Amino acid sequence: MKAKQGVIEVLNKILTADLTAINQYFVHAKMCSNWGYDRLHHHVRQRSFDEMKDAEELIEHILYLEGVPNLQRMNTVHVGETVPEQFKADLKAEQEMLSLLSEGVVHCTKVGDFTTRHMFEDMVKDVDQHIDWIETQMETIKQVGLEMYLAEQIKKES
Amino acid sequence: MKAKEGVLEFLNQVLKSELTAVHQYLLHAAMCKNWGYARLYEHFSHLANEEVGHSSGLIDHLLYLDGVPAVEHLDQVGGGRTVADLLKADLEFERDDVELLRKGIAHCSKVNDFTTRHLLEHMVIDTEEHIDWFETQLRTIDQVGLAMYLAEHIKASKS
Repeated sequence: MKAKQGVIEVLNKILTADLTAINQYFVHAKMCSNWGYDRLHHHVRQRSFDEMKDAEELIEHILYLEGVPNLQRMNTVHVGETVPEQFKADLKAEQEMLSLLSEGVVHCTKVGDFTTRHMFEDMVKDVDQHIDWIETQMETIKQVGLEMYLAEQIKKES
Repeated sequence: MKAKEGVLEFLNQVLKSELTAVHQYLLHAAMCKNWGYARLYEHFSHLANEEVGHSSGLIDHLLYLDGVPAVEHLDQVGGGRTVADLLKADLEFERDDVELLRKGIAHCSKVNDFTTRHLLEHMVIDTEEHIDWFETQLRTIDQVGLAMYLAEHIKASKS
């Protein structure tokens, strides 16, 4: 299948953001583990795995459209040195991802590539959920205070 | 725990190489899947997962040693347009990787960091197994021809 104009470029741009996110979340998860915040560790690690599945899907779709997936390129990884800084950096990454995906949806509509658009739309749903989760954490920290919040993250969810 | 001299640098170098491997094997797995070689896809996916495991252990260990894991940079991701090219690029990559690991191990012995040495030794075992696997594939292609080799990789092993 040949891709419509500009679709491979959009897919590769999103792939780059995704590959960057995998590493950012992975390091954040590991830092939480190192600090002893087991609950956060598991949640953030799962997010990293989710992004990895998205990356796989993007690579496969690019090949399906006879394009060349770019696995060399990565954006800047923003590592937060505290839990709130991690949330801030991750929220920014997710928001950037959201705007890339939205641009992608608009572009696919314009050139009439509805399968790629459908894939982007599925990804947007996940990103929305991620953003919601991070916003909730930040709001909770505001309401109960950082210490109380972190204390609740020490124990793993059973 | 504070790291001994030079250990964090080695760990980050090895991490960079492992992250590159993850990307390379993800790409090669997807290419094989796209070409219809399900059995090769399985194996490359397995390799990618193993390299994720290595990266994970390295990041844990770097943090444990109060270091900063560098996850932003990659070495050159090897590609190719045919299965044989992919296998060759991967063999070359693994051979470079094993050299780096050996240097790391020698360095850890010198500065008496035996836990890091132990970690790297586990990784060398996997890397040497990878080298062996790629060498076997390329030798088989030499012996039976590329077409016969590829025909055997259309069917997934687990089905």
